[in-house]
Amino acid sequence: MSNSVELQDVSYSPGKDFEISGLTLTVPTGAVYGFLGPNGSGKTTTMRLMMGMHRAQQGEIVVLDRTVPKDLPDILARTGYVPERPHLYQTMTVSEAVRHHGAFFSTWDENWVDSLFDRFDLTPNRRIRRLSKGELGKLMLLLALGQRPELLILDEPTEGLDPVVRRELMSVLLEYVNDQKATVFISSHLVHELERFCDWIGIMDHGRLVAELPMEQFKNGIKRLRVMNPELCSPDEPFEILGRTSVNGGAPGEMWLVRGWNPAMTTYFESNGAQLREVVDLDLEDGFVALLQAFRAEMEGR
Amino acid sequence: MFEHVDPRSPIPLYEQIASRIRVAVAAEELAAGQALPSVRQLATSLRINPATVVQAYRELEADGFVERRHGAGTFICDVPSETKRRERIRKAEALVRNLMDEAGRLGVNGIDLQEALDRQLSRRRK
Repeated sequence: MSNSVELQDVSYSPGKDFEISGLTLTVPTGAVYGFLGPNGSGKTTTMRLMMGMHRAQQGEIVVLDRTVPKDLPDILARTGYVPERPHLYQTMTVSEAVRHHGAFFSTWDENWVDSLFDRFDLTPNRRIRRLSKGELGKLMLLLALGQRPELLILDEPTEGLDPVVRRELMSVLLEYVNDQKATVFISSHLVHELERFCDWIGIMDHGRLVAELPMEQFKNGIKRLRVMNPELCSPDEPFEILGRTSVNGGAPGEMWLVRGWNPAMTTYFESNGAQLREVVDLDLEDGFVALLQAFRAEMEGR
Repeated sequence: MFEHVDPRSPIPLYEQIASRIRVAVAAEELAAGQALPSVRQLATSLRINPATVVQAYRELEADGFVERRHGAGTFICDVPSETKRRERIRKAEALVRNLMDEAGRLGVNGIDLQEALDRQLSRRRK
């Protein structure tokens, strides 16, 4: 099995205002896949489609080599999920909620859940509605891990949590990934958090996938170049130009935002008589914003 | 010694870890036979993907800097002093290259840079 999730040309439109259209997305097995996108871009909807909570009107969804919605019981038994909003009964106590949730899974691992319970320092008798955001966040991850899933679908699991709790959650998650070789599909607005441990990146905007690529390629291939005498450059550049702007402060030359860059391409500028003055590295957040802007400009131009 | 990984740098994290260890071996900060942290430990403490640590260790093994003993962990090898010297030189070259790039960006010329370097080095030696 080489892919844990495959979406093939999936479309879903729940109403007039929003649609997912022609979405093709692949999560390789063993990957930690970071799913980025602005609010309302369709990340949560995509995750819910994978979990069979919405029915796609078109296209094919395969999770853990089984088909959605036909094989959902098997898929759900092997997939841990942290939804955007906790779905727990407010009047249950923490230990009741754990027992209630665990009863659905034949693979539920009580010893491991107990050890996580201690590690997260959860209070068994506290009612769900009395929990702080941090406690709730820990409980939700515990519920997703308790079944020992092969795949984790995490919808902003650290949203609104303080850095201490966030780190705690992340270290438990990473230990699990290391020990079980599980696949993780995670969305978050905390781009720097994803930057540390994701090896694949997917970016959504307006219900479409803007880009999907390995993290390393993302970071090495997307650069800002400062070009002197840009007018000399022929239009057969070996990379893709996402945008061209003048240099801040009126200095000479132009800034080019490019994709698919590698250092050997410096010769392109030399052979045209232009000069490449500077190659500026972009981190994940800069790259993310840059790609989105280029994507939107292209959509508008159509 | 691993507090300085920079996820925002374009240098891949595995390469940052591997090169940090290579330099530590070259500078005799790490001695032959010494154990490196386990993959799980290092991944958790740096909050990075365990696969990244595995990749770094694999690379170091291929370079002959570490040895992975099955079930026991990863250990520093007895690296020949010639290799260590080469590694130190490589690191020095990289540092100077960075310095020159930065100077170029700011418009500082080579002569000023050379003089400043000489001055700072002799001040250090005193």
